Amino acid sequence: MEMPRRVSPFLTLVLTVVLLTGSSYAIPAFSRQYGTSCTTCHIDFPKLNDFGKAFKDAGFKFPKNDEDFIKVPQVMLGAPAQKELWPHTVFPGTIPGLPPIGLRFNQFFQVTSKNANNYNLGTTGQYVPRTDFQPGYFSIFTAGNFGSDIAFWVDDDLSVAGANANGSLGDAYLRFVNVGRYFKLPTDSLTLKVGQFELDLPFTQARAYDISAYDIYSQANIGANLAAPGVDNHTTLAGPGRGIELSGGHHYGGYRYAIAVVDQNTSGTPPTNQPNVPSATGVGFVSDSNFKDLYGRFAYRFNLERDPASRHDVQAAGATGPRDHTYLTLGSYYFYGRSVQRISGESAVLTGREPFYRVGGDFDFNYRKLNLYGLFMYGHDNSLVLKLAGNGFIPGTSAKFNGGFLQADYMALPWMMTILRYDRVQSTSDFLNPTGGNYFMPVGSTRDRVTPGVQFLIHANIKASFEYAVRPRQALSYDPTTGKALNPFRTNTATGALEFVY
Amino acid sequence: MKNTFMMVMAVVAMMSLAASAGTISGKVSGVTGESVVYVEAPAGKTFPAPTQQPVIDQKGLMFQPHIVAVQQGTTVQFLNSDSVAHNVFWISVGGNKKLGHNLGTWPKGEKRPFKFDNPGAVPLLCNVHPEMSGYVVVSPTPYFATTDKSGEYKIENVPDGSYTVTAWHEGAKNSSKPVTVAGDSKADFTLSK
Repeated sequence: MEMPRRVSPFLTLVLTVVLLTGSSYAIPAFSRQYGTSCTTCHIDFPKLNDFGKAFKDAGFKFPKNDEDFIKVPQVMLGAPAQKELWPHTVFPGTIPGLPPIGLRFNQFFQVTSKNANNYNLGTTGQYVPRTDFQPGYFSIFTAGNFGSDIAFWVDDDLSVAGANANGSLGDAYLRFVNVGRYFKLPTDSLTLKVGQFELDLPFTQARAYDISAYDIYSQANIGANLAAPGVDNHTTLAGPGRGIELSGGHHYGGYRYAIAVVDQNTSGTPPTNQPNVPSATGVGFVSDSNFKDLYGRFAYRFNLERDPASRHDVQAAGATGPRDHTYLTLGSYYFYGRSVQRISGESAVLTGREPFYRVGGDFDFNYRKLNLYGLFMYGHDNSLVLKLAGNGFIPGTSAKFNGGFLQADYMALPWMMTILRYDRVQSTSDFLNPTGGNYFMPVGSTRDRVTPGVQFLIHANIKASFEYAVRPRQALSYDPTTGKALNPFRTNTATGALEFVY
Repeated sequence: MKNTFMMVMAVVAMMSLAASAGTISGKVSGVTGESVVYVEAPAGKTFPAPTQQPVIDQKGLMFQPHIVAVQQGTTVQFLNSDSVAHNVFWISVGGNKKLGHNLGTWPKGEKRPFKFDNPGAVPLLCNVHPEMSGYVVVSPTPYFATTDKSGEYKIENVPDGSYTVTAWHEGAKNSSKPVTVAGDSKADFTLSK
């Protein structure tokens, strides 16, 4: 599929910053319910501390004696003693005493490189502004626990970039925590999640705290100039999956695994570059294939405190109070799917099924105020090429990419986090794609950037963030004799964001 | 004759006692909630430390009770009844930041003691749950009282004499005034935040 050669630069700017920005969430509803500050669970919202991870693992509950901490009494959907009557009665549950609703709004200001408009030379009416104010998301989210260790989460973007209702549903699921107890399995060794959810990625994109998203998570394998039909796989790990997930273990120590079975990404010719968008041919369905994609992850976190009691507790016992553990997490993940393409053959519509996989490893190291983590990913898509006779496919050149990111966070003060990040994506299909599809898209096989940033908590629920993405010099064309870049430009961007949750 | 002598002696003793120990009572207004009123130590006068050790609990992400008034030299036991980790620290005692202290971390069900040797209000904080707030008000004398909901207080068994009496309330500026105790004495305070 050939990409549009000139997307409106202004639209591109807005979409790049707003749509590719991590849609982060902290849950003020929990603050209300427990009468506690955001910082009980968050280091720099939405980044979780160890207690926040344990709270999430437990199904949005305090890990122990949750009822002792709830300040707003829950509404009983049946007396607890009704449990004794089951199955002759509806099993009793609870709902939160107050609707656990949180809201979030963010906005951006962006400055681009001086030579940005070299990108548009020769194109009438196209202009990349030097500076730009942009409204971001207005989002609603709700989460909590219905009793019996059944947790829920729904988040939705009500408005994006100042326009109404053009956002989308984020995660929306029920999570049955510790269902393994019914099979006499060890505590927390088996939890079931059903709905639409972000895969259990090593580092969340949906609840990321950086202004800009991780490049590798938004990498799709679209080899437009590969021999037809080429690779046209819009799957990215940034998109939510629809299906079920089995998981176990804890994020705050020890093992952690997740296995997910999700709808295959819609294929054909989706209207946009976004993942998981229903295709025109899949009316009423969000996938157009019987095959389900598979995702698996395993990680182990080593808490490094010497004292066993402190090592195994949710938080470590520091000399001046509890703190996050000193830890090292090592993990790996694997995603297997099929990309379906339906194209018109000689006499019929032909269906090509191209297997693909994403595989990688990750680490996460924390020592007091310093958190260093990174991820590597390798992507591989088999390619099918239409036979000359138009009556079938033959194997073509595979499309591959690799890359990842490395990030260091340092809490200079309890309300100030400094960030240094390096992103890299190297893709053969990017290289083969037409240039200029998008101001921020790569025009070569490699896109990498260094992004220093700083974030300030004005209050525990108000944050100002800044980052400056430094990207290599690029050009759309080169002198054929000297090889020098013609009208080079950079896509460096300085971005400021202001957001609040309440 | 003997009985008459004993009765006279008893009356003299009672009159003597009544003359040397009075009360200070009054009302703290301008603020709502508990206040603490205490008698400042007369120059050169010291008082033996009490042996009772009051307990301040951390329960349900709160310091309970919220305000505890103690005499200087009292050891307070800090208990953690929550199943989450807490700590207790304060950045000053009576505004003196050199007296800040951090008690560290301890698990559920355990106590950690601290002896308050300096007078003044001690704002208790938890560095994990910043919304948690409590106070130990350290009185330099054994003569102190906590007000009721209407702001009324009564300090008993104060020896006759001239004193400075101070009223403290959370978030308000302290107010002090001279009070002469001779039997029942009155001292009202108006505090503002």
